[in-house]
Amino acid sequence: MFLIKCPFCGERAETEFSYGGEAGINRPLDPDALSDVEWADYLFMRKNPRGAHKELWNHAQGCRRWFGVERDTVSYRISRSFELPAGDKGP
Amino acid sequence: MPDPILHSHGLEPFLSSISSATDCAEQPGIRIGIEPGLCHINLRGDPGSVEFIDAVNSVLQQDLPLAANTMTTGNNRIYWLGPNEWLIISSLEKDKDRVTNLRESVRGQHACVTDLSGGQLALRINGPHARDVLAKGCTLDFHPSVFHSGHCAQSGLAKTGVLIGLLDDGSEFEIVVRRSFVDYLAHWLQHAAEEFGVEFSVI
Repeated sequence: MFLIKCPFCGERAETEFSYGGEAGINRPLDPDALSDVEWADYLFMRKNPRGAHKELWNHAQGCRRWFGVERDTVSYRISRSFELPAGDKGP
Repeated sequence: MPDPILHSHGLEPFLSSISSATDCAEQPGIRIGIEPGLCHINLRGDPGSVEFIDAVNSVLQQDLPLAANTMTTGNNRIYWLGPNEWLIISSLEKDKDRVTNLRESVRGQHACVTDLSGGQLALRINGPHARDVLAKGCTLDFHPSVFHSGHCAQSGLAKTGVLIGLLDDGSEFEIVVRRSFVDYLAHWLQHAAEEFGVEFSVI
């Protein structure tokens, strides 16, 4: 069983969670000011690293909160999970 | 007036059914009780605000559980659902005005009171094999040293989203499930508990 630690509920099985993609991608405050290239970069481009990756998870069958996880994409080892900064409620 | 749907729990077909194991065994391994007509209220607010805690306390006369995965019992059963979210279950007849009173008490604050009575149903599960049956369909650890009385958790039971709490004396689980899933969950429980014997009843 793959366990993920929810910062609110504790360790739970992976089946309770849903994945939310790369963390830390904020919607531009003024989208009209962006060029097509910049907008496409925000919309589509992701790091997809081999190794440490900061990502968003939602505890869908639990407290239903979004939170962040730092996971190694090779070993799947989760080094830490963290609450999102105030004001950032996830996607 | 409460909505008429609250008086139909949807499990009527199960009440007459008795599994084969029960026929030979004296005691069923698991008993499933349906408690219809309960008032379910979802409450959200800031637990760090003294004003909010005082207002809620004045109506409920009971402390909100502030620690994760815990519940308090008394006049109501109050479940911790998240860092700023709780479920309050109480008898509907006794608390007809509870939603209004609670809503009035937190008026003007950054808080929210939602009546979920029509959308959820609570099952009570006890018997010597209650933990065995739940463990068949849920990834939580049901060992008594982990899942003790006053402990609660939201999780999946047979892929259905549920809230499971262990009530006061540690022998009876309360399972809160969406009303539209209760027929499915009852069928699953009936099947999963067949080897131990299962009995449905209305509380």
